[in-house]
Amino acid sequence: MSDREIDLQLVERVRNGDKQAFGLLVDKYRRKLLRLLSRMVRDPDEIEDIAQETFIKAYRALPQFRGDAAFYTWLYRIGVNTAKNYLATRGRAMPTVSDQAMNDDDEPDERLMAKDIGTPESELLSKQVALAVNEAVEALPEELRQAITLREIEGMSYEEIADYMACPIGTVRSRIFRAREAIAAKLRPILGTSEDRRW
Amino acid sequence: MTIHNLNPAPSSNDDALSALVDGELDDGEAKAALKAVLGNARDRDTYREYCLVGDALRGYHHDTPNLTDRVMSALEREPTLLAPMPARSPRRPALWLAAATVAAITWGLWSAVPREETLAPLAANQPPPAGEAGNIMPYLAAHQDFAQAVVAPSEMRITRVSLAGADQ
Repeated sequence: MSDREIDLQLVERVRNGDKQAFGLLVDKYRRKLLRLLSRMVRDPDEIEDIAQETFIKAYRALPQFRGDAAFYTWLYRIGVNTAKNYLATRGRAMPTVSDQAMNDDDEPDERLMAKDIGTPESELLSKQVALAVNEAVEALPEELRQAITLREIEGMSYEEIADYMACPIGTVRSRIFRAREAIAAKLRPILGTSEDRRW
Repeated sequence: MTIHNLNPAPSSNDDALSALVDGELDDGEAKAALKAVLGNARDRDTYREYCLVGDALRGYHHDTPNLTDRVMSALEREPTLLAPMPARSPRRPALWLAAATVAAITWGLWSAVPREETLAPLAANQPPPAGEAGNIMPYLAAHQDFAQAVVAPSEMRITRVSLAGADQ
């Protein structure tokens, strides 16, 4: 079952009355959405408010979601419209976000957008996380590092990674799992310091 | 939402959750894994953690960990959705494709094979066999007068008829 089909399964569960399933979608996409919104709105508190409103609007509109587009593409549009309306009601214009990035019907290309905007605290925490991830990845055995990099950064499927690394798919699955566990172990102390901290 | 109170020792199910995050489980396994994630707090935290690791590797460092809790608290005030998605029949496209194929083959055969209706006019244009021509000539000669009566209106007989009492 593909990632998109898993999202559809979660959507189907929410539409059948399972609100917990929506929580998984929030967990899965909140960082991506926050990154998008941080390019349109400067104030971190406003970003959080708009993100929350976006998810609530998405929940209310879920009966209209037909699954023709990927869930995040649909959520992305709601997020952009919510941010636009938010800024319009305050008489503010959107900062430098290219039309090409905003009007893309497919997966939005956030690389085309402006540079990150964050508080000094969030930027510091971002650096800590980035450092911890880099250290964790560097400390991985070569085959684990290669497997997790090909999967998470290059977006390759298990089958493609198996071909590339000349090993069975089961081995790829195991290597990626072990790599995730090792990285998560390095991140836990940082992320667990305070659940209210923005990073 | 917290992720620091997880059991650091991975369970055998965590391997399946890792594959679930990657969309690499078959339908049955994925449904079972999703059921586990939604029904078990530990599995749910592990799933969240794996999503976070992926985002961190891709550079999505900006986060508000309590956003999920805020959204879920707000959703408590929202009505529970009861709008099941319309059933999707995966066999429907295959059926349409099969029907279209059968129709195309039928049409092709219907067009290619000569039929009696199309042969009949061709046969009518053929000169009659010599024997038949000899037999039909006396018949045509015997009916020639009737043929002239039709094609020559000047020879048609017209009889004036008056209706009794028509002027009353």
